[in-house]
Amino acid sequence: MKKSCIAMLLAGGQGSRLYALTQNVAKPSVPFGGKYRIIDFPLSNCANSGIDTVGVLTQYKPLQLNSYIGTGQPWDLDVSDGGVYILPPYLGAHEQGSWFTGTANAIFQNLAFIENYDPENVLILSGDHIYKMDYAEMLREHLEHDAALTIAVQQVSLEEATRMGIMNVGESGYVEEFEEKPKHPKSDLASMGIYIFNWKKLRQYLIEDDADPNSSKDFGKNIIPNMLKNGEKLWPFRFKGYWRDVGTITSLWDANMDMLSTTLINLYDPEWPISSRSPVCPPHYTGKNAEIIHSIVTEGCEIEGRVENSVLSASVRVGEGAKVLYSVLMPGAVVEPGAVVEYAIVGENTVIKAGARVGTEPDGSEGWGVATCGPDITVRAGAVVPAGAMLYTGEEV
Amino acid sequence: MRDYHGIIFAYHDEPALRDLTANRTAASLPFCSRYRLIDFALSSLRNAGILDVGVIMQRDYQSLLDHIGSSKAWDMSRKSGGLRMLPPFGLPQYHTGNYNGTMEALNAVSTYIRRIPQKHVVLLLGNMAANIDLDAVIRQHEKAGTDATAICSEGGPETSHNRYILGEDGLVKYIDLFRTGNWVGIPSLEGYVFNKDKLLELMDICQARGLYRFHQDAMTYFLYEIGGKMDVYIHHGYARIIRSVDEYYEASRDALTPAVRHELFPADRPVRTKIHEHVSTYYGEQAASRNSLVGDNCIIEGEIEDCIVFSGCKVGPGAKLRGCILMRNCVVEAKARLNFVIADKNSHFSANSVLVGSPKLPTVVPKDAKI
Repeated sequence: MKKSCIAMLLAGGQGSRLYALTQNVAKPSVPFGGKYRIIDFPLSNCANSGIDTVGVLTQYKPLQLNSYIGTGQPWDLDVSDGGVYILPPYLGAHEQGSWFTGTANAIFQNLAFIENYDPENVLILSGDHIYKMDYAEMLREHLEHDAALTIAVQQVSLEEATRMGIMNVGESGYVEEFEEKPKHPKSDLASMGIYIFNWKKLRQYLIEDDADPNSSKDFGKNIIPNMLKNGEKLWPFRFKGYWRDVGTITSLWDANMDMLSTTLINLYDPEWPISSRSPVCPPHYTGKNAEIIHSIVTEGCEIEGRVENSVLSASVRVGEGAKVLYSVLMPGAVVEPGAVVEYAIVGENTVIKAGARVGTEPDGSEGWGVATCGPDITVRAGAVVPAGAMLYTGEEV
Repeated sequence: MRDYHGIIFAYHDEPALRDLTANRTAASLPFCSRYRLIDFALSSLRNAGILDVGVIMQRDYQSLLDHIGSSKAWDMSRKSGGLRMLPPFGLPQYHTGNYNGTMEALNAVSTYIRRIPQKHVVLLLGNMAANIDLDAVIRQHEKAGTDATAICSEGGPETSHNRYILGEDGLVKYIDLFRTGNWVGIPSLEGYVFNKDKLLELMDICQARGLYRFHQDAMTYFLYEIGGKMDVYIHHGYARIIRSVDEYYEASRDALTPAVRHELFPADRPVRTKIHEHVSTYYGEQAASRNSLVGDNCIIEGEIEDCIVFSGCKVGPGAKLRGCILMRNCVVEAKARLNFVIADKNSHFSANSVLVGSPKLPTVVPKDAKI
């Protein structure tokens, strides 16, 4: 069946800068913002934008991601003439298979999947961005400007621009030059890593790129420069809303804190719901002495202590007299009575025993940072986990 | 496939539930911040692997149909078997008025029951708050080898129950009807495992004699006329049949106690429900929430104490709520004060409004009301 646009979601990244949090899971399945995992944002955006066919390219620790996505039902993506497909790397009978060697290669290895739907356009998404975007709007501009490629861009400061892929736009409004991390940026339009390609063109560029032994098979490094060189029409789609890359511990913590403010990103908007697979727990319970201030709490939580400026995922328990301040608690995390968790990220099912301390408030020192406990760790009673620490699963604390 | 078929009675609209059942049956009464009462029966069946289920309904079933939907939430949307909603279709006389009793309700869907491929049926009330371990019930039933097993409570004497008195063989000898107070006998939770052919026999005799009640008519015939053998299974956890506003309010408040909550929602037998929440609940800078159960997607900026708050509610800054139940999407504006109020869906309380009930007589605010 012919589709106007299908999406390919690059979810294969290892997420090595999230350290303990991605020790056993792929970055897109890291819990985020209370009820979500990171991948819920692009998947929900697809569903809300009317894109009902999504290929999810996985390769690194995909087990949890696969079972999380399942049939795609939580995002209404369980449709009969499309749906959400997990696409791992595979070996063919005659040709040699391999891991995805780059973003472009990941798509190239799945030409057959895309051709199955014979779409006019292909939307390429990352699995590690937090944002709400109407891809239908982007597709409309793409078609209106007869572009071979439309790139979502966001205005950034010139200082930030030196760390990003920058689009230099000519008088015509089309992109004329693309610079990766320029020392002296000529423009403040940064690529968000979200692309809509005309499929016929992309197909041709992917095949040519695959034959080039010197290519690193990357959209930013190879495909886009090649298209510019050949004078293809590249249109910048200017996006103004909230958008965050959550590839590092600090950015993940920051973006979680942003979820406490509806003015940055409104998750309560019924017109653009971000959906997730719900564990179906009882409602959360707040005890007789509980104090919960400027925080989000969800199903299955049992709160007896004090929670302030924090993001709590499903089934978190905070014991009597415990304090959770400026922290992110992932599903099933337990803070026992009298324990203090401050400026920290606590992984799934990790237990902070009575009287233990995790993290400290910022003291202006250089070594300060958010303390991170990976999943399934027990922090012993009375133990101290200093600011900036990184605890891996299996470590004794 | 298990050789058991579930039947849930969801047709009751109890008069003592007043406005709460104006547009719904007791089985679709919202309960405990995110559930409907029927979720307990559906989940008990699902957790015991019984996925072929008939739900007997009669009137005011819009909210029930809406809640159950495709029954996917309970894994009962199957290619073969699965869940069927059963409106009256047996005989034309059942299309008008209320069912007078359970036997009449069963006879109204007798063609369905005759076609059940399984040998045993599990009968459950849709309006009961109890997480019954049907696996254990069935194990005991099979061991006893009787025609039927009655699911009973060890429960106290405080509410009215049909009671079973056992003989020396440990099986039911007598039935005492609707006893209140400290009487002998084991209170029935009106759930049964029945041999299907035996049940059909009871349905047939009731039909022939113009009888329609389960306990008064069918069970007395079963026990006294044909000497039917019935075992008793004791459910040890929390159990309340909800037939009045008082019972509803009390059971809701009971769920605030950790012990009751853990009996209703044990980790190994989860209660499943239709999911509509996409987002967490936000507590504001001035919020306070003590001894309360709160669903998702709420914005709490005021103070709540001893409350049950369903998803989608908003409590404005300075508002104070005590002992209240707010069903889905209620809005309590700034500085409103509500004590002992049961507010049905979409109720709206404007700023500074005051409404005070009492713990013994909570004030019921009907759906969509504006105060």
